[in-house]
Amino acid sequence: MSSFESAISSHDPPDRLTLGPAALRLKGLGLAVGVVCMAVAIVWGLAIGDDMRRFFHSYLLAFTYFLSIALGALFYVVIHHLVSATWSVVFRRLAEIITGAFPALFVLMLGLVLPILAGSHSLFLWTDSDVVAHDHVLLVKQSYLNAPFFAVRMLIYFAVWMWMSRYFMKRSVQQDETGDVALSNRLRRVSGPAMIAYALTTAWAGFDLLMSLTPHWFSTIFGVYYFAGAAISIYCLLAIFSFALQRSGRMTRTISPEHYHDLGKMANSFTLFWAYIGFSQFMLIWAANIPEETTFFRPRMFTEWKWASLVLIIFHFVVPFVGMMSRHVKRNPPVLAAWAVYMLLLHAFDLFWVIMPAYSPDAIVFHPMDVLCLIGAGGICLFGALSVGGNVKLLAVRDPRLEASIRFINQ
Amino acid sequence: MASDELDNEVTAESDMLLPGSETVFYGLLAEYDSPGALLQAAEQVRDAGYEKWDCHAPYPVHGLDPAMGIRSTILPVLVFAGGITGTATAILMQWWMNARAWQWVASGKPYFSVAQQIPIAFELTVLFSAFTAFWGMWFLNKLPQVWHPLFRKKRFLKASSNGFFISVESQDPSFRRADTEKLLREAGAVAVEEVSYTTSPEQRNVPRPLLGFILLTTVLALVPFAFIAKYRTTHSDKPHFYIVGDMDFQQKRRPQSESDVFADSRADRVGVAGTVARGELKEDDHFYRGLVDGEWATTFPPQLEISERRMREGEERFQIYCTPCHGQAAAGNGMIHQRAMAVGAGATGWVQPLNLVDTTAQLNVVRQPHGQIFNTISNGIRTMPGYKSQIPEMDRWKIVLYLRAIQRSRNASIEDVPPSKRPALR
Amino acid sequence: MSSAAEASKFFQGVTDTVCDIVERPWRRMPKAWYIALAISSCAAGLLLVALTYLVFTGIGIWGNNNSEGWAWDITNFVFWIGIGHAGTLISAILFLMRQKWRTSINRAAEAMTIFAVMTAGIFPLFHTGRPWFAVYWLLPLPNDMSVWPQFRSPLMWDVFAVSTYLTVSVLFWYVGLVPDVATLRDRFAERGQKLRAAIYGVLAMGWRGSGRQWHRFEKAYLILAALSTPLVLSVHSVVSFDFAVGQAPGWHTTIFPPYFVAGAIFSGFAMVLTLMIPARYLFGLKDIVRADHIEAMCKIILATGMMVGFSYATEYFIAWYGGNPYERFTFFNRAFGPFWWSAWIMMTCNVVVPQAFWFKWCRTNPFVIVFLCLLVNVGMWFERFVIICTSLTRTWTPSSWHYFKPTIWDGFTLIGSFGLFFTLFLIFLRFLPAVAMFEVKVASEHHHAGGSGHH
Repeated sequence: MSSFESAISSHDPPDRLTLGPAALRLKGLGLAVGVVCMAVAIVWGLAIGDDMRRFFHSYLLAFTYFLSIALGALFYVVIHHLVSATWSVVFRRLAEIITGAFPALFVLMLGLVLPILAGSHSLFLWTDSDVVAHDHVLLVKQSYLNAPFFAVRMLIYFAVWMWMSRYFMKRSVQQDETGDVALSNRLRRVSGPAMIAYALTTAWAGFDLLMSLTPHWFSTIFGVYYFAGAAISIYCLLAIFSFALQRSGRMTRTISPEHYHDLGKMANSFTLFWAYIGFSQFMLIWAANIPEETTFFRPRMFTEWKWASLVLIIFHFVVPFVGMMSRHVKRNPPVLAAWAVYMLLLHAFDLFWVIMPAYSPDAIVFHPMDVLCLIGAGGICLFGALSVGGNVKLLAVRDPRLEASIRFINQ
Repeated sequence: MASDELDNEVTAESDMLLPGSETVFYGLLAEYDSPGALLQAAEQVRDAGYEKWDCHAPYPVHGLDPAMGIRSTILPVLVFAGGITGTATAILMQWWMNARAWQWVASGKPYFSVAQQIPIAFELTVLFSAFTAFWGMWFLNKLPQVWHPLFRKKRFLKASSNGFFISVESQDPSFRRADTEKLLREAGAVAVEEVSYTTSPEQRNVPRPLLGFILLTTVLALVPFAFIAKYRTTHSDKPHFYIVGDMDFQQKRRPQSESDVFADSRADRVGVAGTVARGELKEDDHFYRGLVDGEWATTFPPQLEISERRMREGEERFQIYCTPCHGQAAAGNGMIHQRAMAVGAGATGWVQPLNLVDTTAQLNVVRQPHGQIFNTISNGIRTMPGYKSQIPEMDRWKIVLYLRAIQRSRNASIEDVPPSKRPALR
Repeated sequence: MSSAAEASKFFQGVTDTVCDIVERPWRRMPKAWYIALAISSCAAGLLLVALTYLVFTGIGIWGNNNSEGWAWDITNFVFWIGIGHAGTLISAILFLMRQKWRTSINRAAEAMTIFAVMTAGIFPLFHTGRPWFAVYWLLPLPNDMSVWPQFRSPLMWDVFAVSTYLTVSVLFWYVGLVPDVATLRDRFAERGQKLRAAIYGVLAMGWRGSGRQWHRFEKAYLILAALSTPLVLSVHSVVSFDFAVGQAPGWHTTIFPPYFVAGAIFSGFAMVLTLMIPARYLFGLKDIVRADHIEAMCKIILATGMMVGFSYATEYFIAWYGGNPYERFTFFNRAFGPFWWSAWIMMTCNVVVPQAFWFKWCRTNPFVIVFLCLLVNVGMWFERFVIICTSLTRTWTPSSWHYFKPTIWDGFTLIGSFGLFFTLFLIFLRFLPAVAMFEVKVASEHHHAGGSGHH
């Protein structure tokens, strides 16, 4: 019997289970940093004078990055209920709080969609009617790739996501008070259809936001690729948040090395899954060598971007997969949290690799706006998430499977 | 106690003491009534400092490893090494076999194409890892070990179903017959028994039938290899076996062979009269034959794009097909003509290739309509062969386009030159 | 926590129930088993006849022709490999996910995997027409003129993937069998049946349940489970590469690997249920293979069916979105061309039928479950048929278009493959423990019974 087990005979006291006044501080920090960074980025983007092309690519990067994290969190919540998982109960509330960022992401989405509706062609090629008129391939898909339908689809996706995240979180928080098991059953029954809705909206959002940057190109697995990155991100973020919370004295008796071990296992498994999806996409297109499909990979293989591709393979897959294989790494919270930070950085790099060659096919171009937009969007999302869930308990204290989750031991 | 022990022995003829045999005292076997009791007892035995002892259970009891003080096995490390070996083997194999020993050209893919090597590399990694895990585990467990003293005890037969046991070997340095039994009983044993076995020289040897079986199967297993070796190193004059007759004697006719189906006994047939292959109908007279309403076309067909680019393509084709006879300037003094002159063919009836640009010649090609020139290129004229089997229609039209350009250039006046370029002529 | 007595009774009960199937005299075997074995043996014999005739006459006895180079042969291959995947999923992936309910079915499921893969392997071997050459040319051996195999082909990857899968599945299955075979050995020894005890004893390799040996055993089991998980994903992905690496419309889509894997698990679970539900009734395993286990499997069928449905939706959408007229035509042709009936059977059985599992009564009524699972397997067979046939009978050149008709020998080979599979499975049920006894005991609530208080 581990010493941890004997310690958890009593739980964390209630004050160690909320953010308390820290929530307000973090909210303020998030909003301030977020708005300032975004404003600077916007001004900079205008100053470059390329019709905001560079800015919108950076903005898209930041938007899809934080969207993927929120989607990962939503996936975590839904799958947890769907399979009635035990170990993941301790983290579920944290994931629910992260899904509270959807309204903020909705606002950020407007920052993308409204300029397109207003006639901006800076981001997507298919928004430019002159280009479309002379391009047979774009003409043929015009009924899908047009600004109004794009906006409608975004609204639908966000409606689904916001509704789902609110539904799950509201009842989860309600259970804190009532301890009603029927709520868990309800959520379990809903999670089936919810997963279907999640899969369709996430995949199509991936097609719309990222795949249409190269509108001549198509790949059926692209939605799954976006999802894979999202799934890695959530487990990494949970590891980081747990570590930070425990460092601040919260949830020390709730989360054990066993839980970190499982977070690490899931993050590692999804890293392998991501590599599998990325590899299938690449290898199939490369092997068949059909020009209309290889347009995506040509810049990523034959220009300066080939170094970025190599970095992605080695540092987004090989290094973390081998590095996080050992159980000693996974059971050591600070080490795992460090790897988690690393993976989140590489995830941003992955999206950078997907997006930027559409802007600059021949050369890798970093720009401070990328970082500014990322920090900006991050701050705004932090503000948004804490606005929704800053005051709730960090633990689903009356979840029927909580006890088993806390006592859970890996083999 | 003694009668209990007798009842619990598995009866065997070998219990008789034969000459040369000895009784060996193996150790003590204690039974416990539950997994929980086993764990507690194990902890006590571990703490008492015993080393040569073991627990026996029908399933892996949780917590038994720390209760016994078992150290983590080295197996994962071995498996990792095995896996890496698999990866390296796969990559090396594919590189050497496809990129070095015999370079396979396959759809223009690089000989050493990592993307297409990954599936096999992955599979071999898994295969080697699995083999290492499998063989490594049995090896580390020292299995197969079909015989063991504990199997002599009837009570022990429960160990694989419903029984929980601890066995302590007498070889253990801490073993004392009375003290050890006391420890086991106080830890909660339901029963403690002595385990002994007798060995006889016959028992120590491998049983004859088994030996015979191993020998026989080994010999039989070598027979196919012997056959293979024989046939690979000898020659035979006899025809080989035809196992699948259909494969070797096929019901088809080869070109230039006989067929008894047709009256003329030929296997080669002409195409059925009146049939046209798909895409071969070629109804467009203008494009395919240079004719408009039965007359030579005076215009280019609409399929031909009149542009600099097509002109250049026509120039290239002209250089390839026409200049050997007609010359670079289409004046009829190509290299073949020059050679003919040099070897004196003029005296034996050599006809100079036509000058295509001379308006004063008897055959004024400059006056000929586009379609007529096209027809000449396609079907030949006099001693010139037809080129329609070598040059597709579009290319022939491009040659006509280019030829018109040369003709104009050789019969041009100053008015034909754009004003901006006239100073360059001076 | 249960007492020592309760635990002991439970453990003995498990042993008795499961071993009884192996130990009971032939006259006590259920009649249904004999009938099933008779039918399946006849079908297996039919397979032997069909394959012999095939080897001596040629592939022409099947309906394959230009441009339909692959037809029922490869459909059957992918179908059987897919069925095998559920076994590995249950054994390995559910083990890694610590799902205890798997212990009642994993032994039978692993056996099913091995037999399914063996059955599947027949097709790529024999569809070459000259299988003796196929074996020689496909292994990394130099052949005439020192030519080595071409490793950049997915068909070569298949060779490695399927043989690795078969090997690792056998290793994993055998490892799990050893403690249970030891149980059988001991029970036969107890009853004095020396020959059977000796045979099982050799197979058990002298296993004596030693704690030290269990430690390494568990480690190896975990490692094999951890290896089998990516392996099963990779095998069906490699099978999907057979199609996706090419350029044919309808075949060349990047989603094929995960789509095929989901479909494999889908059909595999349906087959597991088709086998286990009758088995648990016939052999009295109802308390070990419980109703909630069956329900869990029905839910997995529903989930993977939805993944397959998602893949269909994506394929259709992207076929339209891509704008490629050949791709668009292929998908239109699937639904409305000459093989429209097969596509609609596929859609109904794979997307519509599993929806029944939303309803609890569907998940708990054994007849309904078996019926629906049979439909699912039909649907999945048709899925592979649709993929292969619609793309090959409507290739780019219209002059090659024709309607594919299978011959009686295609049918005999398919029926025969079922015969082989079921024969092997029925024999397995009789001679080896159909339930992983030791795993059921570990997973049970009694597994740390007794002793004085919680340790």
